[in-house]
Amino acid sequence: MEVQTEEDTGHDEPATNGAVNGAINGDTNGRRRRATAQSMAASQRDISVSEFFAKNRHLLGFDNPRKALLTTIKEAVDNSLDACEEAGIVPEIWIHIEQTGANRYKVGIQDNGPGILKKQIPLIFGKLLYGSKFHRLRMSRGQQGIGISAAGMYGVLTTGKPVKIVSKIAPRKPAHYYEIKIDTKRNLPEILNGRGEGEDIPAGDAGSKYIEKHGIEWIELDHGTRVTIELEGKFVRGRGSVDEYLEQTAIANPHVTIHYLDPECGAGTGEERLWPRSTDQLPREPKEIKPHPYGVELGMLVAMLQDAKSQSLSQFLCTSFSRVSPAVASKICKTAGLSTRSSTTKIGRNEADKLYHAIMETKIASPATDCISPIGEELLLKGLHHVVPGEFYVSSTRPPAVYRGNPFQIEVALAYGGTSTANRVPLDVLKDLLGESDARTLRQFLTSTFYGLGSDAADQIIKEAGIGPRSSPGKLKPAEISKLHEAMRSVNLEAGQTMNVLRYANRVPLQFQHGACAVTQTIMSTNWRSYGLSQSRGQLPTGPVTIMVHMASVWVPFTSESKEAIASYPEIQKELRLALQSAGRKLALYLRRRLKVKQEGERRNVFLRYLGEVATAVSDINSADRKKLYDQLLLVARRKTAQADMKLDQRGRVIEEESDDLESDPNVLIVKPTNDFGIRTTESSNGKKGS
Amino acid sequence: MAKKARKSTATKNDNGAAKVELNDRDKKTLKDLVGLADRIVVDAEKKRDPYLDIPARTLSNVRYNKTKRRIELCGNTNRRQLFNLSQAKSYMQTVLVASGCKQLIDEGKTLSLRGLYYKLKRSIEGTKEETFADQSESDPVIEDLEVGMNSLREELHLYASNRGNLAGPLTVFDHSTGDEIDCARMGSGGYSIPSIVENDIIEFKKCTAKFILHVEKDTVWRRFSEDKFWRTHNCILTHGGGQPPRGVRRMLNRLHNEFKLPVYCLLDNDPWGYYIYSVIKQGSINLAYESARMAIPDAKFLGLRSKDYARCELSPSVKINLNEQDIKRAKQIARYPWFEHKKAWQKEIEQMLANGFKLEVESLISKDISYVTEVYTPDRLREEDWLD
Repeated sequence: MEVQTEEDTGHDEPATNGAVNGAINGDTNGRRRRATAQSMAASQRDISVSEFFAKNRHLLGFDNPRKALLTTIKEAVDNSLDACEEAGIVPEIWIHIEQTGANRYKVGIQDNGPGILKKQIPLIFGKLLYGSKFHRLRMSRGQQGIGISAAGMYGVLTTGKPVKIVSKIAPRKPAHYYEIKIDTKRNLPEILNGRGEGEDIPAGDAGSKYIEKHGIEWIELDHGTRVTIELEGKFVRGRGSVDEYLEQTAIANPHVTIHYLDPECGAGTGEERLWPRSTDQLPREPKEIKPHPYGVELGMLVAMLQDAKSQSLSQFLCTSFSRVSPAVASKICKTAGLSTRSSTTKIGRNEADKLYHAIMETKIASPATDCISPIGEELLLKGLHHVVPGEFYVSSTRPPAVYRGNPFQIEVALAYGGTSTANRVPLDVLKDLLGESDARTLRQFLTSTFYGLGSDAADQIIKEAGIGPRSSPGKLKPAEISKLHEAMRSVNLEAGQTMNVLRYANRVPLQFQHGACAVTQTIMSTNWRSYGLSQSRGQLPTGPVTIMVHMASVWVPFTSESKEAIASYPEIQKELRLALQSAGRKLALYLRRRLKVKQEGERRNVFLRYLGEVATAVSDINSADRKKLYDQLLLVARRKTAQADMKLDQRGRVIEEESDDLESDPNVLIVKPTNDFGIRTTESSNGKKGS
Repeated sequence: MAKKARKSTATKNDNGAAKVELNDRDKKTLKDLVGLADRIVVDAEKKRDPYLDIPARTLSNVRYNKTKRRIELCGNTNRRQLFNLSQAKSYMQTVLVASGCKQLIDEGKTLSLRGLYYKLKRSIEGTKEETFADQSESDPVIEDLEVGMNSLREELHLYASNRGNLAGPLTVFDHSTGDEIDCARMGSGGYSIPSIVENDIIEFKKCTAKFILHVEKDTVWRRFSEDKFWRTHNCILTHGGGQPPRGVRRMLNRLHNEFKLPVYCLLDNDPWGYYIYSVIKQGSINLAYESARMAIPDAKFLGLRSKDYARCELSPSVKINLNEQDIKRAKQIARYPWFEHKKAWQKEIEQMLANGFKLEVESLISKDISYVTEVYTPDRLREEDWLD
């Protein structure tokens, strides 16, 4: 992979030159000669990574203002979480978005991480492709070291305002304060404050005064880092928004507390949103591993051979790769026709080629999989339950597997029931959403803003509200908005709702390009009908279902640099399918039981409906006491439908204590619904058993 | 209860003291209805599921009585339970109909089937569901109650809408209105046969006719009536508008039995016509419990016959091709126990199937407007050319 990225950068050089060539027109000896080798040489020069990415910012997720804002926050949060976890600190994160002008936002992200050493700060935030994560095989959110510096660069490019960083490593030590710009020509940081040296904020009261005086944004902590970037962006809600990213992050990272102040809070019209952590336990620390021989490409092998100082081939193989023992090494050498004792310096192109093929032919054990730290079934349940309202939760973790020599692990959690966000949206939020939307029609607005709301459901809502389907969402009258709100609350969306898919790679939510992702593709090709959901061929299943799929790996194979979709390797698809099926089977159990109770309840209802008429008619005929008769019939009805009674609550649709495999399954959580509409409960049947 | 009962006797007394018999019938029906309600109360007190046993009205539960030559009901019953998901609603409807009929008897009034449907139709309390969605739900329930309580429709103070007319030398007295009706002087429309024609309501005064000619439909009946067929042949002319309703069948039955008049049927040459004849002759499956009062085992099938197309030299344009359903139905009718062993009938049905077309009585009009009344029917009667 390392090689691949370098090659990517390398490839672009001639291409850029080609473009330059075309632009130059030379004219010598009367013949129209466009350029000479000399004149071309004059314009051939180095391109810095930062220049390249400044031009091609879409590669990093800065395609449009809306996505730029999200990517900036995402990169900062990912870095913060990585740092906290590596340092063994339970993370707490503050996100602050403030509007500073039309299409301009100031974004501040602070963590309680270990802090950054003074001399490293400018490089980490001001130099592209500088970081700790690229040169190792270890499960982490960030992989390359481009993200946050690219975000800073984007900010500087669009607003001219420097990136501000405050970092502190211990309570007694001073905090470091930097204002940085990126020199895109040289890919180097340019420090603006403290005469190019940065400034120190002393610890204690003196520091507080200093912060106040200079208007530095900093929440007082013992240690941590805050980065503030001002950039051109667009703040939206709904799908692909910052809100959604943070919510999904909270699901996959139950050990993180997130404080979130959106632009409205800044304007004083909203409140801070808080996702509290549901566990204090940090995920198991992932181990760094050596590459597996099967995952290596020829070019990479040559590079590794060159890097290796003079040592025997056997030694090289054993120390550079995982799962290669001296016995395996000698087998490889034998197949390649090379001596185990030949020096690595003597291995030329041809030998390397032979060696490469020998590796691929030799049977080598799969890499160790303990280097991956999955979220874990219990925490998955907790996380999903915390954020997605529902009545039934199930999770399933597959044992680790390997693709192309990279270990990976698939986890799936599924929530069933609960109401759609469209059902729960408050009127004022709906007003805001309508105001912010750039959708042309109301239908488009509904389907693009709310998850799991298909076009059928949207049509139903619009019909119910009695508003023209082509009316523009921004131009609705207040009366129409309240009608729409009413319709959104009343229309039963369960039937037409499609499955809500939350995709994660190494605990980072993937919000875009769901169609290109192996996760979505595998869900679509799984037969959900046998698990009690309805599904059209080749579509996502429908129903009030939220499914989250997490792929943890030392190297997640993204389809593009902007990390939006997982590539479809057969091994990955197989594991995905098995995990989905395992969760599906338990869902089917639950749904069958739910149906049974519902049927009993309906039976009871049918009887109750007719009892009154029967009692009236009978007393009309023989003057019997109507009330007495009715009560007696009611008793008989109760007895006849006793099964429904046992498991029915006032809402008439739920189950309680029933000894069944489902309840004793640690990977299942069944929630007793409350009578309050749309408010989540934290009671679980598992928890209740103990009491 | 007591108060209501007194009120009902009072109503009857107003109508005239002559109807002691009628009073007894009402009393019996009332007793049955109250008994039905009392059973529900007892069941509820004992915490049992209330149920009603209703004789099954299906082909499998009827039997052809060879000696009496009519269809009879066997003993199988369907149990209708209140606490059975698929029966709860029809149970409720049955009890509703019972209470509706009780009220009718109490007040000494009668209602049509549709009238009772409207009387009982309402939304069930607390739901949007109707007690009866449409009349097709209430009609079978009424029949269920009739069979279940072994009482006749008129005893429940219900009647079906009038369908079928009569013309001929017959005088009747209608006790419900107190009119004497001369069916020979009813004009072109004829006497509309009421739904209830029991002796206590329609009393036969005088009849000089020699036979009864029953035709299928109004149009044919009008042809005969206009040509004064009943006058020239001294007969009673009836029609039942297709499948004859109970009133018409009971009327035919009474005329046949009380005045010993033979009954001849002039029906279409198609499976439907055969079936109408079959119903008049042996009774229907649905009303098998009333066969004794309805069936006329001696009724004859005059026409049209399968051979009539050739015999009467009809034009090919009057042919109507048999469809698949007709063929299926014809084969079914051929297998009825009362047709199965009659060679003439088997031949008749076979020939229709071989023809591949059916004929309506009206097709004879293509020969001449009055062909059917002046040639066809008199010829058949004279030649005694009919099917039994």
